[in-house]
Amino acid sequence: MVQSILDAISLGGLYSLAALGLGLVFGVMRLVNFAHAELITIAAYTLVLTAQFPLAVSLLFTVIVTVFVALLMEFSVYRRLRGVNPAIMLIASFGLSTVLQRVYELMFGALPRSAVVAPFLRGDFKVAGLSITISSIITIVLTIVILLAMGYLIEKTSLGLQLRAASADFKTARLLGVRSNRLISAAFGLSGVLAACVALILVIQNPQISPYYGLNITILSLVGIVIGGIASLRGAALGGFIVGVVLSSLNTLLGNGRVYAYSWLFILVLVILLVRPGGLLSKGSELERV
Amino acid sequence: MALLEVTNLVAGYGKVEVISDVSFTLEPGKSIGIVGPNGVGKSTLLQAIAGGIAPKGGTITFDGKNIAGKKPEDIVRLGLSLVPEGRQIFSGLTVRENLSLGLTGRRNKKGANEAILKVRELFPVLLTHENHQAGMLSGGQQQQLAIARALISEPKVLLLDEPSLGLAPTVITDVFDRLKEIIEMGTAVVIVEQRANLVTSFAEKTIVIRDGKVQSTLTSADAANSESLQRSYFGAGE
Repeated sequence: MVQSILDAISLGGLYSLAALGLGLVFGVMRLVNFAHAELITIAAYTLVLTAQFPLAVSLLFTVIVTVFVALLMEFSVYRRLRGVNPAIMLIASFGLSTVLQRVYELMFGALPRSAVVAPFLRGDFKVAGLSITISSIITIVLTIVILLAMGYLIEKTSLGLQLRAASADFKTARLLGVRSNRLISAAFGLSGVLAACVALILVIQNPQISPYYGLNITILSLVGIVIGGIASLRGAALGGFIVGVVLSSLNTLLGNGRVYAYSWLFILVLVILLVRPGGLLSKGSELERV
Repeated sequence: MALLEVTNLVAGYGKVEVISDVSFTLEPGKSIGIVGPNGVGKSTLLQAIAGGIAPKGGTITFDGKNIAGKKPEDIVRLGLSLVPEGRQIFSGLTVRENLSLGLTGRRNKKGANEAILKVRELFPVLLTHENHQAGMLSGGQQQQLAIARALISEPKVLLLDEPSLGLAPTVITDVFDRLKEIIEMGTAVVIVEQRANLVTSFAEKTIVIRDGKVQSTLTSADAANSESLQRSYFGAGE
C-alpha cells in the first residue's frame, strides 16, 4: 500500500515535470509541441550512451545535448513559422516529431538500446517491515527539488515574470520591452532541461530506449495540461500531477483490469472538462457562445 | 527639431490599408491629440509607431532615427512607450509585478528605483494595492496602472490609446490631470481619443483623421469653436 502511494506520487511528479516543459513553450508560443517527446527520447539515449561515465558527467552532457536539440527545433522550424495559424504550427510539430523519430531510428537502430544508469538507485530498503524501492524515493525527491527550482525561477525571477506575462499576453509584453526571440529561446531551453530531468527519472525505472520512448508520457502530459488549465504554468504542473497519480492509482486498483486504466482516465478527463471546460485553474468558462 | 516625425505613413492589416499618407510632428515635452470616429485608423497609427504592426510605407523618425518596422521591444528601449487600448494590464499578476515589467523596457538599468518612486508619487493609489492582483483594481485604477507601467521605462514620448475608454467622468478628469503632470515633467504625449472635445482642450494641437487620412489640424483655440470641431470631425457641411 505504502509503495503504491509512493509510486502514484512519483508518477504524478514525473508527469508534472513533463507537463511543465510543454506548458512553458505553449505559454509563450501557443504551440503544442508534440516534438517534446523527442527531447525526452534524445535525453534518454544520451543517458544510456554515456552510462559508462560518472552520473554527474553523463547528466551534464545529457542536458547540453537536449537543450541544443530544443534550441535547434525552435531556430530551424518554429521561429520561421511564428505568427502563422496555430493549426499549421501543430501540424509542423507533428511533422518534426515524426522526422526526429526516423532520425533516431537511423542513428540508434529500431531495437531498444539499454544500459544500467545509476545502478546505486536500484533495489529497495525496508522501513517498519515495508519494502520500498529506492527509485521511487529518488524520483519524489528529485521531482520536488526540480519543481521547487522551477517554482522559484517562475515566481521570483525577472525571466519567470516575463514568461508569465508573455503567457498571458505576448503582444503587450513585447510593447513593454520583453525580447521575443530571447524569451522563446529561454522557454525552449528550459523545456529541454525539464525533458532531460524527466528522461533521467524514466531511465532509472526503464532503461530500454526506443525511438518512441518519450511519446507516451508526452501525450498523457498534454492531457494533464488541458485538465489543469492550458494557459497556466501552475495548471500544467497540477494537471500533469493529477494524470500521473490517477493513472498509477488505477493501475493498482484495477488489478487484472488495468488494461482499462486509460479508458477510466479519459472518462475522468471528460468529466473534469465538462465541469470546468477551461481546466481546473482557469478563472472562468473558456467556452464561447456558438 | 521634432522628437517624433511621422511622414506619409501607410499602415494596415494584410492587404487592407487602414491609414494612408498620415504626417505629423511632435516636439519634446509637447502633446498632440488624434481624434476621429470609430474605425478610422487611430489605433492602427499608434500600433505602427510603437512597432505593433509593420508600416507599409512612409517614415517614422524618432530622436533622429528611422524606427519604421523596428520591433516593439527595440522601440520601447529607444524611449517610446505605448499604453494600449483597453489598458491590457496583466490581470493575473500583482500590481507590483505589472510595474516591474515596465522596467524591462528601460534603456538604462540605473535609476530604476527613482523611476518607481516617481511613479508611486504620481499614482499613490497603486501603492496601497501593490500586492493585490491587478485584475481586482477598478477601471480607473487599472488605467493608472497601465500609464504608470509605461512611465517606469522613462519614455521621451508616451502614446496613449483611448485612456478614457470605459471610465466614469470624474475618473477621466483624474486621469487627464495626471497626464498634464506627466507632460509638465517633460514627457511628450500622443493621445488618441474618440471624445474630440476632451483632447482638443488638453493637447496643444489635434489632428482629425477621417477615412485613414489627416482631415485637419486643430489648435487648442479651436476647441472653443464647436462648429469648427464638428465640421472637422464629421465632415459636416462638405
